[in-house]
Amino acid sequence: MNPFARLGLPPRPDLTDAQVRTAWRTIAAQTHPDRPDGGDVAVYTAAAAAYAQLRTAWARSEAYADLAAGEGSVPAPGSPPAQAPRVATPASLAARPPGVAVARALLLIPARIRRGRPLRLVARALAAALTSLLVLALIPAQPAGPAVVTGLVIWFLFTARSDLAPPPGR
Amino acid sequence: MSIWGWLKLTIAVWLFRQILKLAGGLIVAAVAVAAWPVTVVAAVGYAAAWLRGWPPARLGRMAAWSLPMTAVYFVGAAIRIPSWSAVLLAPVHDWAHAWRLLAAHAILRAGLLVAPVAVPAGLALGALWWAWRIYAVTTGLAGQTASAPVWFDERQWRHQARAARGRAAAPGAVPLVTGRGLVAVGATIRAVGHRWRPVLAVPARSFGRHSVIIGSSGSGKTNLMMRLWAGWFAATLATHRRQGGDRPLLVVLDCKGGPDARTKAERTRRLLHGVGAGRVAIWPDEARLCLWDLPPRDLGVLLLAMIETGDGAAAYYTDVMQTVVNLVLTAPGRPPADAASFLDRLDSDWLEAAYGDGAHEAAMVRIRAARPHVGDIQLRFATLFGRLGPALDGPGTLAGADVWYCILEGTREQSVAETQAMALTELVAHAATAPEAERRAILLAADDYSAVSRRVPISNLYERGRSLGLGVQVSAQSWPGLGASEDERYRIAATADGGIWLLHTPYPDPVIQLAGKRRVLESAHRLVGAAWGDDGTTRIQRVWTADPDLIRTLDTGQACYLHRGGATFVQVARPRPSPLPLSGLRYPSVIVPPPAPPPEPEQAPPSPNRLEDVLGPGPAR
Repeated sequence: MNPFARLGLPPRPDLTDAQVRTAWRTIAAQTHPDRPDGGDVAVYTAAAAAYAQLRTAWARSEAYADLAAGEGSVPAPGSPPAQAPRVATPASLAARPPGVAVARALLLIPARIRRGRPLRLVARALAAALTSLLVLALIPAQPAGPAVVTGLVIWFLFTARSDLAPPPGR
Repeated sequence: MSIWGWLKLTIAVWLFRQILKLAGGLIVAAVAVAAWPVTVVAAVGYAAAWLRGWPPARLGRMAAWSLPMTAVYFVGAAIRIPSWSAVLLAPVHDWAHAWRLLAAHAILRAGLLVAPVAVPAGLALGALWWAWRIYAVTTGLAGQTASAPVWFDERQWRHQARAARGRAAAPGAVPLVTGRGLVAVGATIRAVGHRWRPVLAVPARSFGRHSVIIGSSGSGKTNLMMRLWAGWFAATLATHRRQGGDRPLLVVLDCKGGPDARTKAERTRRLLHGVGAGRVAIWPDEARLCLWDLPPRDLGVLLLAMIETGDGAAAYYTDVMQTVVNLVLTAPGRPPADAASFLDRLDSDWLEAAYGDGAHEAAMVRIRAARPHVGDIQLRFATLFGRLGPALDGPGTLAGADVWYCILEGTREQSVAETQAMALTELVAHAATAPEAERRAILLAADDYSAVSRRVPISNLYERGRSLGLGVQVSAQSWPGLGASEDERYRIAATADGGIWLLHTPYPDPVIQLAGKRRVLESAHRLVGAAWGDDGTTRIQRVWTADPDLIRTLDTGQACYLHRGGATFVQVARPRPSPLPLSGLRYPSVIVPPPAPPPEPEQAPPSPNRLEDVLGPGPAR
């Protein structure tokens, strides 16, 4: 099991020393053998080993690299899926069928909106939508109506890209 | 001809010309009023291009991208009207209808009715109009005063820089790598001799050549370099994953050192992790490399180069030292594994014992001849290794990490840093050529290399890099900092076929000269009093592709990319990896203790006696 999961941390190499220490203290306080209820020696020792492995930035970098290379990415028996972090590896990416990349890109859009400039994006979308409605109301049953709406959609698609967070790894 | 006659003729000619001008103006005005929707769009496009500093090509592209609305318009018309001729005449009918709507003060409806044709046509007309304006002002054909071209250029630069700053700040406008796998650098301010694109992006393969970055302190050089490293790494890694290209290996030599270097190293680590790098090693603080993995021949050359030797009579001792070092490295048995074992072998008795099996008579003769000097040689190497410290003594290889950030204390201990730089570049060269090693796409970036270039000229690095197929990127704070002599500097800059990046620097002239000149038109006007007359001449002149005065006044974060006779000015975007995790999975934002894992007693540290022994009171050390 990977050391990040042992401390309940996401497998990210950019964790700070304080984050790792906080996670370790939380687990240690709950599982230390000196507790009145006797604690949980197994969890405590595993967390202590994980803390020793992750306490410096270089050590975290190494642990992350090991994880990316596939070592230690097998979840412990009984761990829920969310607790078994996976990191994209060259092998796993190469093995994906072509449609998966497109599907994944589409699935990422909500997260990209959230981590980008969502307010600006909403403002743009509202402006495009309201203008489209106005156009269709002003010139109903005219070929110019759908044409202008097409122009607004093109404008939205071009300008909205800059308000999205870049895809992962870019 | 009498004076009165000449005067009448002159006035008649002047009047005739004015009437012609007026007639032309009236015709243009009539056409503009008749085609008012196109005129309005063209005027709006022209004003937007002026305000944002766009080149005409951008308006042209907008016109092209608005053609789908025209297509939808004609499809809609074709559905409603069965006759093809009527479909083709639909814009004319709508135009006539729009005039009636105008008469009824329904301006918005009138505009919308003709927009599908007026928008692309107007934008195209606006592009032509703006292109003519730029041409006329820059060549001196337009403008009310002689200084008009200067003011026009300065104003346009301000507009272009402002627009570029806005683009560079948008989160998705300048990612580290574009969708087509190019390394995005920043938002384009102005392109001279290059094709204008909103975002300057360079192909990752150009990093396999040699590039130079010059920018004074505080000019944004660090941001630019980090962006280039991260972009190159991400693009090369993506190619490796998709097409099976070589895995990237980035080696950064921070030759200035100091506390800033540690901060920079940490920033680089976070950035590179964000784009998919595995191990990011910081040398010598956290990781080590092993000099003794080099082949004995290369190691011998390197060890000798690391010791400063003299010329003339001193060359004799250099030869003796070379002989002894080669004997030590090629002695029967295993080569030395570290500095201590190397120093142990620098001993006459050890050498005689190693070669004394009767099969190495020639070596024994050399050992006996060198015996009086072996002690001195050992002393010199012991001193050298003492100054270098254990960071080159292993364990560790370049292949063990994706990124090596090597901090050399070039400002504090120049001679040590120089020696380290020699060793590190040798290790990189070995990694690039070792037949048994995995092939890697290597980028060697030397930041402030001038701090250590006294004994390892950058041109050597360049030439070695070119022959070994690894990219070399060198940065300096100024032109003089690029090399020890003018010859050296020109050799470096003239061979930078991966491009030269110029940031704010007070003396860019030599580099500008290398970028070359371009042809421009220059008009001279005859002056009548204090105003321009009606006649003059225009001739072709040659000016610098990159204006040196503009380089001198660049703001923080603005850079000029010189490549293949063109220059692109760019607002470098701050390097930030995508905030989304690489796996695309959602991670817990709150730290939650995990369920009990299986016990691993062999990894368990000695259990403390009390809870306080673990948790407190001070922070982790």
